[in-house]
Amino acid sequence: MFRLEHLTKQFSDQFVLEDFSFDIQEGEKIIVSGRSGIGKTTLFRLLLGFEQPDSGKIYFENELLTEVTVWNLRQRVAYVSQDLNIGRGNLQAFFNETLSLKTNVEYKSSSLGELEELLNAFELPDTLLQKNIEELSGGEKQRVAIINALLLKRNIFFLDEITSALDKSLKAKVLDYFLLNPAFTVLSISHDNYLPTEAVTRTLKLD
Amino acid sequence: MNGAQDLSIFSMLMCGILLLVPLLGIWYLKLGLAKKLLISTLRMVVQLVLVGFFLEFVFRFNNWLLNSIWFLTMITVAVFSVIKNSGLKLRHFVRPVLLSFVLANFFVVLYFNFFIAKLSFILDAKYMIAIGGMVLGNSLRANIVGLGDFYKSIRKDEQLYFYKLSLGATRFEALRDFAKRSFVSAMNPTIASMATMGIVSLPGMMTGQILGGSVPLVAIKYQIAIMIAILASTVLSISLSIFFTVGKSFDKYGVMQKSVFAEK
Repeated sequence: MFRLEHLTKQFSDQFVLEDFSFDIQEGEKIIVSGRSGIGKTTLFRLLLGFEQPDSGKIYFENELLTEVTVWNLRQRVAYVSQDLNIGRGNLQAFFNETLSLKTNVEYKSSSLGELEELLNAFELPDTLLQKNIEELSGGEKQRVAIINALLLKRNIFFLDEITSALDKSLKAKVLDYFLLNPAFTVLSISHDNYLPTEAVTRTLKLD
Repeated sequence: MNGAQDLSIFSMLMCGILLLVPLLGIWYLKLGLAKKLLISTLRMVVQLVLVGFFLEFVFRFNNWLLNSIWFLTMITVAVFSVIKNSGLKLRHFVRPVLLSFVLANFFVVLYFNFFIAKLSFILDAKYMIAIGGMVLGNSLRANIVGLGDFYKSIRKDEQLYFYKLSLGATRFEALRDFAKRSFVSAMNPTIASMATMGIVSLPGMMTGQILGGSVPLVAIKYQIAIMIAILASTVLSISLSIFFTVGKSFDKYGVMQKSVFAEK
C-alpha cells in the first residue's frame, strides 16, 4: 500500500531520516517507535506531503507521491495528530464542518447518524456536542480528534500519539479499536506498553 | 465660494506658540521627547507645504491624466506601507497588492463620483483626491490588519491548517476560516466607529465640510456615503489582496512558502 524508497530528510545539519526504506501492506498494523526527536512525526508529515524529502521516493498504491497525487492521499488517509489544535467553537459544528468538506460530504448523513454511538464508545457524553472545543480537556480533545477521523469512513490511519492524555482503560479501548480491525491499515506512533494480545503488529523502530 | 477662513501669518505664529504647551510638558516631565517632537513637527510642516503647493497645481489644471497619476502615486505609497507594516515580504507582495488596491480603490471612487456625487467629470481632482484619500487611508489600515493577520495566523496555526488538509480539505476550504477571521478583524474598527459616529466624534470629513461652508445636513449625507464607500473598498481590497497573493504564497502541496514573510 505504501512504499518508501531511500528517503532522506535533513533539518539544518541534522539527519532525521537517512536512506530510509520501508513497505506497508494493506491491513497491516505498524507501530512506529524510537526516542523523541528521532523523526517519527516527520515521517507522517512526509507521507502527507507537508514536508518534502531531500531525496528518495514515496509510493502510495504504486503511484509516486507528487504534488498532484498527494491530494488524493489526503482524501484516503485519516490522520490524528498529536497536536490538539483541531479547531474552535461548538463541537457539533466542528463535526459538521469536517463532513461538509467536498470530499466527505457523501458520508455526511450516515456519519452524523453514528456520532452518538462513537461518543459512547469512547466514553464521552452526548452533552459534549454543545460545548466549545476550547472548553474541552486534553483527553476529551484527543477522543474528539479520533472520532473526527473515524467519521471520515477511511480505512488508512496515521495515528500520532493519540492516547497520550488518556487513562489506562481508555488507552486499551482506543488501541483495541484500531489494532483489532482487520479492515484498517494503521501506522501508529506510540509510547504505550499496551498492545492487545490478539493484535498482529509490526514494529518500525527508528534510530 | 464661502470656504473656510484663511489663516494669516499671525495665526500660524499663534499656532507655533501653542506648540510650547507640549514642549513645556516634555521639559517639565523630562520625557526626552523634545527632539522627536520638533523633528516630527518640522516634517509635517515641510510635507504639508509641499503637498499644498502641489495640490494647488493639480486642482488648477484638473487634468484627468495628472489626477489619475497622482491617485496612483498615493495608492503605491499606501501599498508599500501596508506590506512593510504587516511584516510581509515586499518583493513577493508588491505587484498583487498593488493590482488589488488599484482595482478596489478606483472602482469605489469612480462609483462614488459617478453614481453618488453625480459628477459630469468623474476624474475631478477635488473628488478623486479627497474621497480617494479617505477611502485609501482606510483600506491601508484595514489591510495591515487583514492581510497581515491572514498570513500570520496561518503561520501560527500551521498545525490546524495541515489538519484541515489532512481531512481532505482543498486549499480553498482549509483557508476559508483564516480568511473569515481576518475580515472580521479588519472590518470591526470601521463598523464600531459607524455605530458611535456623530456622538463620540465628528468625523474629519464632516468637520472639513462644515468649515468649508457646507450645512450640516449636506455634510452628514457625504459622511454616510463615505463610510459605506470605505467599507466597500475595505472588503474589496482585502478580498482581492488575498485572492491575488494566495496562488504564489503556497506551493503545489498546499504548504505556505517561506518567502511570504520579511526576514527579521
